[in-house]
Amino acid sequence: MAGARMKRPIRILLPILLAAVLAACGNTEENGPKPNGAASDKPRRGGTVVTGWTTEPLGLVDLIFPTTAVGNEVLFRTFQHLVEEQPDFTEHPATFAPQLAESWEWSDDHKTLTFHLRKNLVWSDGAPLTAEDVRWTWQAHIDPAVAWDSAYMKENIRDVEVVDPQTVRFHFTHAYSKQMLDANEGLILPKHLWSQLPFEKWRESPDWFRQHLVAAGPFKIESWKPQQEMVLVRNERYWEKDRPYLDRVIMRFIPDAGNLLSQFLNGDLDFIPQVAPSEAARIRANPSLELVSYWSNLYVLVAWNNSRPPFSDPEVRRALTLAIDRQAIVDTLLPGGAGRVGVSPILQAVWAHDKKLQPWPYDPNEARRILAAKGWKDTNGDGILDRAGKKLSFDLTSNAGNQNRNDAAVMIQQQLRVVGIEATPRILEFNTLVTDNQSGHFDASVTGLSIDTSLDLSGTYHSRAIPSGENFLRYSNPEVDRLIDVSAQQTELEDALPYLHQIEHILHRDQPATYLWESQRLAALNKRVHDAWPNLQAGFFNLKDWWVEPRQ
Amino acid sequence: MAGYLLRRLISSFLLLLLVATIIFFLVHLAPGDPTTVLEGRRITPEQREHLRHLYGLDRPLGEQYVRWLGALARGDLGISFAQQRPITTIIAEAFPATFLLATAAILVEYGVALLLGIAAARRRDGTADHLIRVVSLLLSSQPSFWIGLMLILLFAHVWPLLPASHMHSIDADLMSPLGRALDLARHLILPAVALGLYNAGPTLRFVRGSLIEVMGMDYIRTARAKGLSERRVVWVHGLRNALTPLVQLFALSFPSLLNGAVLTEIIFSWPGLGRLSLAAILSRDYPLMVGITLFGALLVVLGNLVADLLQAALDPRVRDA
Repeated sequence: MAGARMKRPIRILLPILLAAVLAACGNTEENGPKPNGAASDKPRRGGTVVTGWTTEPLGLVDLIFPTTAVGNEVLFRTFQHLVEEQPDFTEHPATFAPQLAESWEWSDDHKTLTFHLRKNLVWSDGAPLTAEDVRWTWQAHIDPAVAWDSAYMKENIRDVEVVDPQTVRFHFTHAYSKQMLDANEGLILPKHLWSQLPFEKWRESPDWFRQHLVAAGPFKIESWKPQQEMVLVRNERYWEKDRPYLDRVIMRFIPDAGNLLSQFLNGDLDFIPQVAPSEAARIRANPSLELVSYWSNLYVLVAWNNSRPPFSDPEVRRALTLAIDRQAIVDTLLPGGAGRVGVSPILQAVWAHDKKLQPWPYDPNEARRILAAKGWKDTNGDGILDRAGKKLSFDLTSNAGNQNRNDAAVMIQQQLRVVGIEATPRILEFNTLVTDNQSGHFDASVTGLSIDTSLDLSGTYHSRAIPSGENFLRYSNPEVDRLIDVSAQQTELEDALPYLHQIEHILHRDQPATYLWESQRLAALNKRVHDAWPNLQAGFFNLKDWWVEPRQ
Repeated sequence: MAGYLLRRLISSFLLLLLVATIIFFLVHLAPGDPTTVLEGRRITPEQREHLRHLYGLDRPLGEQYVRWLGALARGDLGISFAQQRPITTIIAEAFPATFLLATAAILVEYGVALLLGIAAARRRDGTADHLIRVVSLLLSSQPSFWIGLMLILLFAHVWPLLPASHMHSIDADLMSPLGRALDLARHLILPAVALGLYNAGPTLRFVRGSLIEVMGMDYIRTARAKGLSERRVVWVHGLRNALTPLVQLFALSFPSLLNGAVLTEIIFSWPGLGRLSLAAILSRDYPLMVGITLFGALLVVLGNLVADLLQAALDPRVRDA
């Protein structure tokens, strides 16, 4: 079960995420570091961990229809999936570990997936968790009134059948590569309790859910003071009998990143999931603190509006990429190895990336040559290329509040000016930028996207996603469309590798966007916390395994 | 006085209506659809339509406005898109924290302003006066968030004497009522000082100027001629008249303090209206944005009304005008 952040479709990112993406320190492993703490350490039961977060769940509704990363952090510790997707996607497709289901099997035609639930599953109120919960959860997910934002992932599930209380069977319309991800998407909900409220009422009844909260995960919510803190306590009825080790996990919501860091450095906080790279040295200097870094699934790009001339010409887009010194941008904005130049949307930390593919170099002379061959010349000596009386000039948007992207836009402006291209940076409010991009009212935009472990590129690069604005690049290539469709039809993701490589090569050639950088995330822990493994899936990924030494 | 009160009430109501209308249309004219921002891009058209219907966004803007105004008349600010709870409830939960912070900040502001303002006025053009003027300028020129960050750095990080965030310590619920009150007071000190000091600069200058003006009047000369001590002349005769305009200033500054606490609340993780408004903006929560802004406008209008009534009560020429 991927964290929803991993399994969610490629999407434009909240600016607040970007600030946290940039990490700058060592012990990096492509798929995240190993849990901290020596293997010989004997876990200690009990204790409290205090954690700090700059954002908080929007409200109780965020625990039912999570829209924020922190909402997911809480939700994934209090509810569970059938299986848990592992952050091991560097060398092969991500694998799945048993969670509520202890085993599963496929039919010969790969159109039926049967899960066998654990026999001792109960909700925190003592009611049994059965296959009925799984089927009813699916019904909730696909109900239009519930308007669950991942309902599209259930489109190919024809039915969910209860075979017996511990066996549930998913029937698919056809075999394809994302079946397990689709079946597993969404946490299993308590039918015995929540079915009392009709689906039509769910969106209007957050207070009802507040009064009917139960948990199936290792923790349950003890208290929640909005804008202050949330306290998670051990769910004594959790199926894994010796977990969790911790008695309590306190999540303090501290919107000011400086104050958050200050409290962490003072020892008031044991864990912060996001640290700016500029602060890495201060944490590294403290022997009682530890940094954890891992490559993010986010990438920053210059999105060209492929439907507008001159960006509709792949050769012009390639010339623009050649004219941008991306290594200089990375060295300036993400120093100390916190970033690397992007190659394609299949990120370099992902198993399916073709390592033979190299980023386009910085080559302004070649950029000039391509543009000249396309008729772009400085005929009036004003330093800006022109063709048929029209200057090679455009707006380059980025979103307010994201300094790195804004700085990148200015650096790109200067670099393009060298080859005679006039780019004018414009900083927009985030929602305005999103709206402009989705509606196609932009020339070029420095923005961010993420890719999930299903490597589903249909959202941003398939032409059928243009009308919805999801393919906001407005990139259209029939061969890429075909390859995306063919790769999605493979029942095993490994089998899609040749098609993914072809897509990657075509995108590299066509440059629908200039891939600026991939970056690291940085989390920080007090060393009194052991066996924590924050990774791309979640800061609290293995929270049930965390244990702490007593406070000094 | 009754006629004056009625006139002021009517004008305040009309002003609020105007503010409400402007806020409503400004917020709704901004680009973007909250269903896009809140629910992600991959919800189906049917789901989006359902949500738009649920939130009333599928109706013409004029109809949305009339419905909203009707609900407003009943004291109903609507439902927050993001939290899906009544906005009046959300504001009612956050307001006490902001009110407490603003009250404490007022105490800091007026405490500092009175002490230094009186000292400066009594030592007019002396070294102390010049020094206090510099202090006043320094306070006025530092944004409250900067003062807040410096206070955190000094008193929570370098010398960890006071908590840097939140209203209560972890486990405050286990404390005795007195312990809990003291814990709250400790948490209140830094944000209240940050917010209060920022506003103390101009108030200090006002106190100084007002007292100097009063101390030059004939009745003060008379008091001195009667042989009263200088202390009595200043504190009893001078200050009483010098501070009368300050009452008005107070009535005006209190609501603006409530509205101006946004950055201070964010820096100190204070769970008030300021943080709430930021969250509303980031999540494009139209109704909550409108509700908070309208509530802030209501406070400002009420503050103005109180200031005018105080002035009318103190000066008959105003109410007779």
